Amino acid sequence: MGLTSTNPVFEGWRLLYKQTCKAFQTQSSLFPFCYCWESTAHSATMAKDMTLFWGSGSPPCWRVMIALEEKNLQGYNSKMLSFEKGEHKSKEVAAINPRGQLPAFKHGDVVLNESYGACIYLEEQFKSQGNKLAPDNKAESALMYQRMFEGLTLFQKLAQSLFYTRFVPENERHDSAQKRNTEELKAEVKLWEGYLQKTGPYLAGKSFTLADVIVFPVIAFLFRFGLNEEHFPKLAAYYNTVKDRPSIKNSWPPTWKDTPGQNALKDF
Amino acid sequence: MAKDMTLLWGSGSPPCWRVMIALEEKNLQGYNSKLLSFDKMEHKSQQVLDINPRGQVPSFKHGDIVVNESYAACFYLESQFKSQGTKLIPDGAEEQALMYQRMFEGLAFYDKLCAVIFYDYYVPEGERLDSALKRNKEALVTELKLWEGYLEKLGSGSYLAGKSVTLTDVVVFPTVATLFRFGLSAERYPKLGEYHALMKERPSVKASWPPHWLENPKGQDTLKDI
Repeated sequence: MGLTSTNPVFEGWRLLYKQTCKAFQTQSSLFPFCYCWESTAHSATMAKDMTLFWGSGSPPCWRVMIALEEKNLQGYNSKMLSFEKGEHKSKEVAAINPRGQLPAFKHGDVVLNESYGACIYLEEQFKSQGNKLAPDNKAESALMYQRMFEGLTLFQKLAQSLFYTRFVPENERHDSAQKRNTEELKAEVKLWEGYLQKTGPYLAGKSFTLADVIVFPVIAFLFRFGLNEEHFPKLAAYYNTVKDRPSIKNSWPPTWKDTPGQNALKDF
Repeated sequence: MAKDMTLLWGSGSPPCWRVMIALEEKNLQGYNSKLLSFDKMEHKSQQVLDINPRGQVPSFKHGDIVVNESYAACFYLESQFKSQGTKLIPDGAEEQALMYQRMFEGLAFYDKLCAVIFYDYYVPEGERLDSALKRNKEALVTELKLWEGYLEKLGSGSYLAGKSVTLTDVVVFPTVATLFRFGLSAERYPKLGEYHALMKERPSVKASWPPHWLENPKGQDTLKDI
């Protein structure tokens, strides 16, 4: 027995609640208990129409999972695939995402294979449920957007440095390029340490926003690859605070749980 | 409102152009517009660094608020000025989703363009390789075919995410315009050609057309054979 619309007891309460609302000609938000049930049932139904193909540890995939959790859309069809086995290039993924990339996200007929797009869409479409991820305050909203899109640069520099040999064919690699990429990543990480010295506890200020949904997975990735908490205390404090958030715990990469990370960044 | 806004920009830079189109679409003409010269390294000047520690343009200020990422500035302008000018984010879930999907694919599109036309700018001389540039061109061709397909599916006269202009067009049109500026063949890419011709006439685009493209109507031919 659960809070779904197929549960007859729940259905009975739902009908009574609807009739009550109608009788008082009032909004459901004035009946918070019932509204909570209503929206939970609604969320569960909505989530059932959603499918996410993802790979463990991939920041773009992780973003969407965090957003789904934050918007109370647990219960979506979750399909974990292996990058190593090339499963992101399978027909199943190609049917949703011709680019053969993850995340691949479907909501009924809606397809969103870009992590930023999916996160913004989920906040827009489910504004009134779960946690509010886009602040009303103009200055906070602007800072949220600013950090979200700087997050592209952070991830790009991370990938260029840590995945150099994955992206660059052997005969085209240069030590000078690899060295430069490492220096650029280090400079970028220092920039973010600076941002968190000025703002906190979240990236756009007082509240957890889309900026954190988008950027936290990248910061977590840095620590997974050995970023030294003593050298970057503000980033470490942010990481350690946010990682205890339910949406983050519930979507933590399974392949990270029982295995040690790497230490490519320990000298930063 | 516009009087409290300042934009530092460079001619022909797609990220700068995005913000200018957004400002025009939201009826925010009259902002303080500061054209800087990339050649004279003015984007690394103190004026820019005061607003943007990264020393990049666009740099955008609205009162005390600073937004230096072009997509961020476009989202900010649409959300703060929702009720004026052109509605750039549609209401319907499916329309919205398509808009977001294409907007963010637009990032890959722009990257692949830059990897070809700005190859020498990004890659130091000792690291340049014909094989890498060749691969970048192939990647751009694959990407172009995808966008041709997207426009084909939507039908003649459509915009990138449907029947109306949206944020997708604001952020992606500058990439398309740059493709043709660098010699892309409209015969080989007819749908993109049609889209380019359609958007070129839009007031917001005409008002923000790169000044040095007006001075020198003939572009380059880097992409004519792809």
